[in-house]
Amino acid sequence: VKLAAETSPVRIDPVTFSVLLNRLNSITTEMGVALANTASSALLALTLDFSCCIYDRQGRQIAMKDALPIHTNSMHLFIESIVTYFGDDIQEGDLIACNDPYSGNTHIGDLATACPVFHDGRIVLWTAIRAHQVDVGAPVATSSYAGARDVWQEGLTVPPVKLYEAGRPRRDVIDLYLANLRWRDLLEGDLMAQVGATQAGARKCRELCAEFGAGRLETFTEAALDYAARRTASEIRSMPKGEYLGEAWLDFDADPDRAVVVRCAVRIHEDTIDISFEGSSPQVEKGVNASFAVMQAAGGIPVMMAIDPDIPHNEGCLRRVRVTAPPGSICNATYPAATALATVLPGDVMQEAVCRALAHAVLPRATAGSAHWSNCPMLSGTDPDHGGYWGHQPLNGGGGGGASAGADGWPLITCSAAWGGLHTAPVEHTELLHPVLIEEWEVEPNSMGLGEHIGGPGVRFSLRPTRGPIEMIYANDGLENPPCGIQGGTPGAGGGSYVVDRKTGRRTFLPGEVEITIGPDELWVGVSSGGGGYGSPHRREAERVRCDVRDGLYGADVAREVFGVVLSEGEEPVIDREASDEARRLLEAAERESPNPSPVMPLTRAASRWRANSVRPGDLSLTVDQMRERAAGRPAAERRSRG
Amino acid sequence: VTWRVGVDIGGTFTDVAVVDDQGKLVIWKEDTTPAHPERAVQDGLSRVASLLGLDVGAFLSKVSPFVHGSTVATNTIIQRRGPRLGLVCTEGFRDVLYLRDGFKWDRFNPGLERPADFVPRYLRRSVRERIDARGNVVRPLDEDDVRAVAAALRDHRVETVAVALLWSLANPVHELRVREILQEELPSVPVLLSSDVLPELGEWVRTSATVLSAFVFLASQSYLRSLERWLADAGLETRPLIMQVNGGCATVEQTLRVPVSTIASGPAAAPAAALQVGRRVSARDMITVDMGGTSFDVCLIKDGEVPRSRAIAVAHQPIGIPGVEVHSIGAGGGSIAWIDAGGALRIGPQSAGARPGPAAYGLGGGEPTVTDANIVLGYLAPEAFLGGRRALSPELSEQAIRTRVARPLGLDLVQAAAGIIKLVNENMVNAIGVVSVERGIDPRPFLLVAGGGAGALHAGRLAAQLQIRRVLIPAEAGTISAYGMTVSDVRHDYAGALHTISTEPDTDGVGTLLEQLEVRALEELAEAGFGRQRVRLQRFVDARYVGQVHELLVPVRLGQVDQATFAEIVQSFHESHSIRYGWASEQRAVEFLHWRVTGFGVIDVHEERRFDELPRVAAEGARRSARRAYFDELGGFSSVPVYSSADFPAGGALRGPAFVDADTTTVVVFPDQHLVGDGRGSFLLETGMSPAGAGGG
Repeated sequence: VKLAAETSPVRIDPVTFSVLLNRLNSITTEMGVALANTASSALLALTLDFSCCIYDRQGRQIAMKDALPIHTNSMHLFIESIVTYFGDDIQEGDLIACNDPYSGNTHIGDLATACPVFHDGRIVLWTAIRAHQVDVGAPVATSSYAGARDVWQEGLTVPPVKLYEAGRPRRDVIDLYLANLRWRDLLEGDLMAQVGATQAGARKCRELCAEFGAGRLETFTEAALDYAARRTASEIRSMPKGEYLGEAWLDFDADPDRAVVVRCAVRIHEDTIDISFEGSSPQVEKGVNASFAVMQAAGGIPVMMAIDPDIPHNEGCLRRVRVTAPPGSICNATYPAATALATVLPGDVMQEAVCRALAHAVLPRATAGSAHWSNCPMLSGTDPDHGGYWGHQPLNGGGGGGASAGADGWPLITCSAAWGGLHTAPVEHTELLHPVLIEEWEVEPNSMGLGEHIGGPGVRFSLRPTRGPIEMIYANDGLENPPCGIQGGTPGAGGGSYVVDRKTGRRTFLPGEVEITIGPDELWVGVSSGGGGYGSPHRREAERVRCDVRDGLYGADVAREVFGVVLSEGEEPVIDREASDEARRLLEAAERESPNPSPVMPLTRAASRWRANSVRPGDLSLTVDQMRERAAGRPAAERRSRG
Repeated sequence: VTWRVGVDIGGTFTDVAVVDDQGKLVIWKEDTTPAHPERAVQDGLSRVASLLGLDVGAFLSKVSPFVHGSTVATNTIIQRRGPRLGLVCTEGFRDVLYLRDGFKWDRFNPGLERPADFVPRYLRRSVRERIDARGNVVRPLDEDDVRAVAAALRDHRVETVAVALLWSLANPVHELRVREILQEELPSVPVLLSSDVLPELGEWVRTSATVLSAFVFLASQSYLRSLERWLADAGLETRPLIMQVNGGCATVEQTLRVPVSTIASGPAAAPAAALQVGRRVSARDMITVDMGGTSFDVCLIKDGEVPRSRAIAVAHQPIGIPGVEVHSIGAGGGSIAWIDAGGALRIGPQSAGARPGPAAYGLGGGEPTVTDANIVLGYLAPEAFLGGRRALSPELSEQAIRTRVARPLGLDLVQAAAGIIKLVNENMVNAIGVVSVERGIDPRPFLLVAGGGAGALHAGRLAAQLQIRRVLIPAEAGTISAYGMTVSDVRHDYAGALHTISTEPDTDGVGTLLEQLEVRALEELAEAGFGRQRVRLQRFVDARYVGQVHELLVPVRLGQVDQATFAEIVQSFHESHSIRYGWASEQRAVEFLHWRVTGFGVIDVHEERRFDELPRVAAEGARRSARRAYFDELGGFSSVPVYSSADFPAGGALRGPAFVDADTTTVVVFPDQHLVGDGRGSFLLETGMSPAGAGGG
């Protein structure tokens, strides 16, 4: 064991070191609690779609409460762009906001706020929060609009601006921002909560500086970054050196003949890792390009998942992983490309590609692919009872997480960007506040990848309007290209969404990019994918297989053929040990004779059979263009551009 | 004479506190008997009876009330040793229990296994039915489905059934009918309804509360009923009361209606104790800390009001019932100091517990703990621990700290021990920050009440760091929860859901609902033996800005509900929002979700003698010896006088550095701090922080 104090470039006593480490972490936690408790929208108060950080003067991340992994490795860029923009014109009591993906932000849906912390007349720290906003003033009611062809169709871009100057609110600027948003009251509540939490963090940091002095704090910062760097380096040293390749696909096509591919090369060096997205498709005219910040984060997360979770995610840790992508590509778009969905689309696909590459390195903590962002529609409409314009984004429809060497996947991981960090609103909360009835929210059998550990299952989530039509806007991914299985595990099943005519029972299958209005006689159904499986299924503990079958996750036929576990009939099946041993011997022998060609499954594009297996005679399938035509030809929900 | 008795079962000790009419205290700590918890209760009662020179029968016949904190429910859940459960759900919602709220708490740990559900999927059965948010029946209950479910559950030998249907809070008609049918089909199987257990919004939390209640029902019933029988046979003439997570107590009957309400009920008794002992210094604003072997519990009481939370969880499952809000971290005497892979010093959350315990116990625990650091620095006298009942070995403490902390960090033994104490203090200060500063409350004017065996060792330092002026170390510190039980009122909480908005308040609906809840409260308190004159009622509502998610609990005045009532509620909502979160938005509408009535059956308690009524006298007569101890501000070790708590005179005063050794704790008086004793084992520590400082900033 090398020691924090011993090997640091500058010495700090070990007790002060630990005290400061705890204190800074507790400040970021406090910021998060303050924001969650005071925010107005379910998105911040309940699903906790935000992260809180502290940076040093040089914009290096010192402490972070990373609610969402996608925020972990990208907020320093926003601090850098503030400093570049304002130069010396930053004073005590300023609060600077920004949502511009071309000024270091992830995507327009995230608003980042930062406060400088002054001590003895100069900046020593920054507190910052990145939080998702319910609305950004896009042409349609969603803060992440896949249909945006460029930045001007995404919503109101906010380059670094001061919302507070020297401690005083700039009401004009705040009003300019809020005037562009739907549901202004709600968004103002969220903004004030975020501002308050950012400022509260700064206040605590000022007290900390007063107590310990700026010099000691700087010494500590060096020691803390060094501490995390050393721990990360030591984890990387234990990984097998080499170059590993991964390839993954967006469900979105650039055009009908051109798939969008994400390619990555992961190079594990002595104590650093390089990840390059060289060779990925060019950027597209939709909101599914990655900003620079998303590229940094999406590349790094699978590595963060593969190291000891106890290592602090500060600059020292993060800089052990270098992520690059050619400008102008889907993984690193150039202005004015739209990046409205960047954190998940293509962020989840980029993570999938890295996960596939890492599968070749066979890491002890590696995970199979997790569900991508899907079936989390932004709902809006006008309630005929009181004429109120409402909006709500339930996250109940999300998919399952990938299995790992140590555990089955979890359900509702929802996207790799969040990894289960989002909370779903209760069904009753949604129904109380909005004219919606949720018909079903259950585990989808056979949706998960199989293996020694199985993926978290996908879910079936369906809803219908109760009063007046509902506009639904969302984008899906990872349903045609399901999350991969690794080391012999099978991929998730994929999924999709459709609308049922409740009178005729006829179903209309929807494309991956959806803008549709459903009426009271229609039912919307989303089926999400489970995560990928890990390891050969015949190694799964037989008792676990028995419970899966008993609980209806998959059938006895799958247990016999894929897992080699032979069960008796009935609701409480019993394992036939002898027959199972024999079946497993055969599966093992087959695997020895023809081993998997790759530790990753599938290796081909659009591998999901979900739609092919689900569509029945009489069902319709709509392309994006057909869906738009259909929407134009019938009375749509009253579309309003104000709150 | 009559005695009030509190019996609290802890992981290590079963504490018995006995208080007479004058407030005179007798305590006993009996080793807990995990397999048969009632044995320690019975033995403990025999011991206190004999301390009072009585046999158990004669003693119990003069006890009223008898309050018990049971851990049976908690243990049943943690050890997952409950019955086979069935869960009846609305069709389409069979997996509410499994899907939870979609949250994975440790996102960067892919190897984390999901905790198992308390009802496996094949025993979660759905029935066709649906009620909407307004309580309308969208789809009638399919009774054939219910009978089919009953048959399946019978086949699977299910022992208890939970029923949690959507929107049963708005209209319980389907849940009630399901119970009727199940009782016909499965007459010997208990059935618990979510509309009884937690008639509140949010299907996951309500289902969780109902399932946990069903899981502990049989064990709680059998334990509480047999204890009740034993006590009656042994001579107790009143009916025993059971401590609840809401900070009050209730009869066995009432407890079994919502069995999950006994989870975390031990720590919930500490604030009642603090309010009682706080009278000795006329305090109503206080922060109570309880530092035992493994955890540090904090609760902030403002103006005599004990805060409540709806987020109490056990085994990663919410219990849903609003309970006393106690913030807990893994910092106790047994917390282990360790060096992580990057060479940083860490304390806890792992604890050496009671076995093997700190290195000094010599029971094979080689890990250095906070207790070991307190021994090395001279704060804890090895020979005085637990009144001398357990011998400690300072050599083992030194060895553990030297090898596991000092050498790896390149520090000497004393620096390492002081570092451990500094870091654990820092963690505790942060925990106090969570309940105060984070909620916009300045802790400095508060009284710190130090409970638990280890509380008095650290409290002086914590107070100084937080700039808190006064610390009360009550004689009851070592058994603070058991003592709290003797001064807890009977408390029944009732809730009903009625959604209404401040712009168009449903005054009639709310009035009717609150009246119904109050009638129930009065009836059930009457059953528990409290006539109207001994009952106090309170009303509350969960309020939030329209569209906001988190609610604040706002008091509602008694009597007629009209527009003025709502105006008052809205005003006090804005105020508490502003106090708690730093902002309010007075033009925004406020919405209301759950209306609550709390009925208190008021227990008579003794008068307390106040510190400021005591004459100030010298404490020298209680001085016994001196021991060498380390104080940073004195530049190292020096000889520090040691006083005996038992001989400390009423009004005796001294100035630190000093130690006061008591049976179950040691009070550390840091240099320049002042201490006053009341001659009954309680002490008031003054940190020397100026009151002006407490008001500023």
